[in-house]
Amino acid sequence: MVTTAMPQPVRPVRREQQAPAANPPAAPLPETAHVRTDNFSVYYHDHPAVNRVTLTIPAGKVTAIIGPSGCGKSTLLRAINRMNDFVPGARAEGQLWYCGQDVYGPNCDPVELRRRIGMVFQKPNPFPKSIFRNVAWAPKINGYRGDLEELVERSLRQAALWDEVKDKLDRSALALSGGQQQRLCIARAIAMQPDVLLMDEPCSALDPIATAHIEDLIDQLKTQYTVVLVTHNMQQAGRVSDRTAFMYLGELVEVDATDIIFTRPNNPRTQDYITGRFG
Amino acid sequence: MSSGLAASFLISRSAGRRKRLAGLLGHAALFLTASSSALAILFIFYYIFRDALPFFRQRGLREFLFSTAWYPSSPEPAFGALAIFYGSGLVTAGAVLFAVPLGVSAAICLSDTLPFRARQMVKPVIEILAAIPSVAFGFLALVVLAPHLQQHGGTMLAVVAGVLGLPVAALGTWVASDLCTTRWTGRTRQVLRGVAVLVLGAIALLALYHGVSFLKALQIASGTNALNVALVLGIMALPTIVSVSEDALQAVGRELREGAYALGATRAETMLFVVIPAARSGIAAAIILGIMRAIGETMVVWMASGNAAQIPTPWYNLLQPVRTLTATIAGDMGEADHVTGSARYHVLFAMALCLVVISYTLNLVSEHFVRRGGRVGRR
Amino acid sequence: MNLASRKLINRVFTSVGVLSILLMAATLVVIMGPIVERGLGAFIFRGTVEHRRVLLQQFGRGDREALEAESREVAAARRPVYDLLEAFEAQLTQGPAELRRQYRQPLNELKQHLQGLLGPFPGKPEPVLLRDRYGETRWDQARARCDHIVYAEHYDYSDPSRMGLLVRTPRAEQFAGTVLEPLFTYVPAHLEEMLRPRWTCYARFLTDVSYDSHFFGGIGPELLGTFYLTIGAILFAVPLGVVSAIYLTEYARPGSRVVALLRTCISTLAGVPSIVFGLFGLAFFINTLRVSPSKSVLAGSLTLGLLILPLVIRAAEEAIRSVPETYKLAALSLGATRWRTMVTVLLPAALPGILTGIVISMGRAAGETAPIIFTAAVSVGQPLALWQTFTEPTPALPWNIFNLCSEHQAVDEIRHVQYGMVFTLVLLVLLLNSTAIFLRARISRKLRG
Repeated sequence: MVTTAMPQPVRPVRREQQAPAANPPAAPLPETAHVRTDNFSVYYHDHPAVNRVTLTIPAGKVTAIIGPSGCGKSTLLRAINRMNDFVPGARAEGQLWYCGQDVYGPNCDPVELRRRIGMVFQKPNPFPKSIFRNVAWAPKINGYRGDLEELVERSLRQAALWDEVKDKLDRSALALSGGQQQRLCIARAIAMQPDVLLMDEPCSALDPIATAHIEDLIDQLKTQYTVVLVTHNMQQAGRVSDRTAFMYLGELVEVDATDIIFTRPNNPRTQDYITGRFG
Repeated sequence: MSSGLAASFLISRSAGRRKRLAGLLGHAALFLTASSSALAILFIFYYIFRDALPFFRQRGLREFLFSTAWYPSSPEPAFGALAIFYGSGLVTAGAVLFAVPLGVSAAICLSDTLPFRARQMVKPVIEILAAIPSVAFGFLALVVLAPHLQQHGGTMLAVVAGVLGLPVAALGTWVASDLCTTRWTGRTRQVLRGVAVLVLGAIALLALYHGVSFLKALQIASGTNALNVALVLGIMALPTIVSVSEDALQAVGRELREGAYALGATRAETMLFVVIPAARSGIAAAIILGIMRAIGETMVVWMASGNAAQIPTPWYNLLQPVRTLTATIAGDMGEADHVTGSARYHVLFAMALCLVVISYTLNLVSEHFVRRGGRVGRR
Repeated sequence: MNLASRKLINRVFTSVGVLSILLMAATLVVIMGPIVERGLGAFIFRGTVEHRRVLLQQFGRGDREALEAESREVAAARRPVYDLLEAFEAQLTQGPAELRRQYRQPLNELKQHLQGLLGPFPGKPEPVLLRDRYGETRWDQARARCDHIVYAEHYDYSDPSRMGLLVRTPRAEQFAGTVLEPLFTYVPAHLEEMLRPRWTCYARFLTDVSYDSHFFGGIGPELLGTFYLTIGAILFAVPLGVVSAIYLTEYARPGSRVVALLRTCISTLAGVPSIVFGLFGLAFFINTLRVSPSKSVLAGSLTLGLLILPLVIRAAEEAIRSVPETYKLAALSLGATRWRTMVTVLLPAALPGILTGIVISMGRAAGETAPIIFTAAVSVGQPLALWQTFTEPTPALPWNIFNLCSEHQAVDEIRHVQYGMVFTLVLLVLLLNSTAIFLRARISRKLRG
């Protein structure tokens, strides 16, 4: 009785019928502006965690957001797929555009949005299910009609995990090592074939070898996905990202190509942070 | 990725409205289901009140609350429930008197004395005690405890008093002699203390002897009496008291304990003067929950209390049969069932109303204590 | 205070704590001891030939020919008893009227006990009551009965300051000098030949119906009734309780007034005395909603369901809350709706915890008596078929324990049935609870692993 009354995920078929009716086919998007914020703020109660940030995240690139802890970088990341909706007392102001559409506008369905924007969390968080069902879960609930096994294999291959787990797909995902679990979470996210992958300090709970694996993976993923990476590890940002944004106390201090940020930043505060004078 | 797919997170305004409406409906359905317990409690209050009202209309409040004449089935019925209220109170008080010291000291031992493994072994004991159905307790009270109490009640009581009293007397003598000679020092003190031990010890032993011989001479007319019920109700309330007060003691936290130990306090002093005062709201809540368990219990009192609607003489005499609210409802309903509308039927609902009000009040008080305890624990 | 006293107090304090724990454990042993020992006696006991006769004649079980052969041998062993009685009665009819008067009452008492021990006298018409058609079925009771045959008991109230004293006099003295005197040495000496006790395992006690208000047979209808009531209560309480828990944990705004009110209601419901639930069930489900014409399993289940609703809600809430937040976030970030997240991720992860709560609630529902007194329970009844549960009342273990030990006309003679019922009920509840403990241990292992 309750299931039918709850907001149902729109099945792909219906989605294709509906979307064009509501929105005239959008003009081809500029490659350079996949996600864009404009004077965007997030408040926890009355405290601004993200303050008037204007940032452009180009498609097909890896954008790293760095900054000392508490600077609002995770909040900004979670604002992109509206995960902050679940934080009591959180509220957004200003505009956040994705594919040229306002994410916080009245027409946006956050559930649909999150299918287009995948997310990987700080600590690996596979479901307590088998490896296969972890990856297949999201396509299944979204009514994926194709060959699930093929999709799972492709996702696991993309996440560079296939060779390690192909013989034990029905084992519990919790039996994997931390690094494998994190790659499984990435596989789970890309099984939905999103456009954007949000990564919230994906290596902070991992050892150096597993970290190296993930970084290699990010490097490969950027050919297909727009990656936004939050990290507290500047070397990591330097190694994997194309562009780097530096945030401090909720404000965006500077954003530029990574090599510029790390070699000749414009802002003295960026320089101080990069050189380790605070943070 | 086609642009149509890319923009597919957008929905039309009407679809959005539809979706929001569906969400709202779902939320409302969930809320309705969730409020079933609220509805239940409302209905319970309403239906009990509705059927209790005719009694108060017919007979008024005065007789019900202040008379001890309970003759519901005589041609000139009397519905004085005072003795029944008193019976409920007496067995509950007896149960609490027995269960609270035992339960709280067990909780202290569980939380602070026993090693982890021993605690793991004690936990199932408490769980089993809590799980045994009340009718099984009632059965044992009636079939096992009552005959024993009737035949060897005096001896049993005397043995218990002796076993408990002797160590208490010895400890009391020792500590009291220590306390009353603190003014002196050295040799004088030792001599004085020796004298004090002798004198106090003699007094204590004499008192104990008299007490025990008094108990031994006791004749118990019937094994189904308030003492029997109070004992069994105490056992039934134990698990609640132990587990809730253990939680409260655990919630006090290590910092306070370590602070006290660091000042050179013994474990007893730490517990008595620091931890227990900090956990007193939780312990109070535990005691109230125990009282609720005892006062609402039906089967044990029905089977083993003797069901005599009288105030024992003297008023504290636990060895006489009593009658409680719950047992009256359970026992009289069978006969009053078919005379719906009579005062005899409605008086039972009046009693149920009193029970509900009592348990509701106790529940509010315990919630208040729990909330206060939670605040202390968090700080 | 000096240090020695402080240390002494400390030691006493510790030992008081340990003692109270030991006392608690001892209480448990004292409680469980008689239940287990005498409860098992309902299942495993030395059954006499009469027991086998009951089984064959009432339940159609057993070896007819073997029983007939045994009956012949037993009858031969009993012959002298009846012969002695006959001879004595002949002596009486020939003797003076005074003699008849003197022995009328003792003889009747003796004959009653003999009938109780060995069944009806041969050649007499079959008694109306089933209980009078058979002798003692259990060896322990046969021995007690034999004791009553050998000794006459009465209470001595001559000292008004004391309670009545039990006085036992050998009946051989009562009948001294008559032809009956050898009977009192013959019966105890040949009791085994007359009754042929044999160790019996009566496992069908659990499923057999009972005859003549539990004198013979088992507790099948009671067990079935308890089963129906428990399952019914769970069917009613679990959906409501789990959905309530879902609402409280995931949908309600935490800390809002409504939630606080709901919580107060739930804890109030948990604190309502069980007998009040019984009254409410009678007044609401039966007299107002008229779910059934009078008492029925349905009404009892609904009442019990209401009783365990708060337990289920709390358990489910705790279980859902203990699912790591990350599962929820992961599911939501993959584009699942809240309901989907709940049903496909949170509930499966919380399932062991919820099951633990359900199993504990089942134990509670199975053992409660007060709510079913007015709504579902009857003292005697046949096992119900499933469709009858909507309209018919049923016997149930807890109610029948009460009924048999306080309202039955022959309380002492069916003690074993009472203990058997208590044992079965306690075992049932403890099994459910240990299932719960096992489930909980698995959860904590899983969380650790």
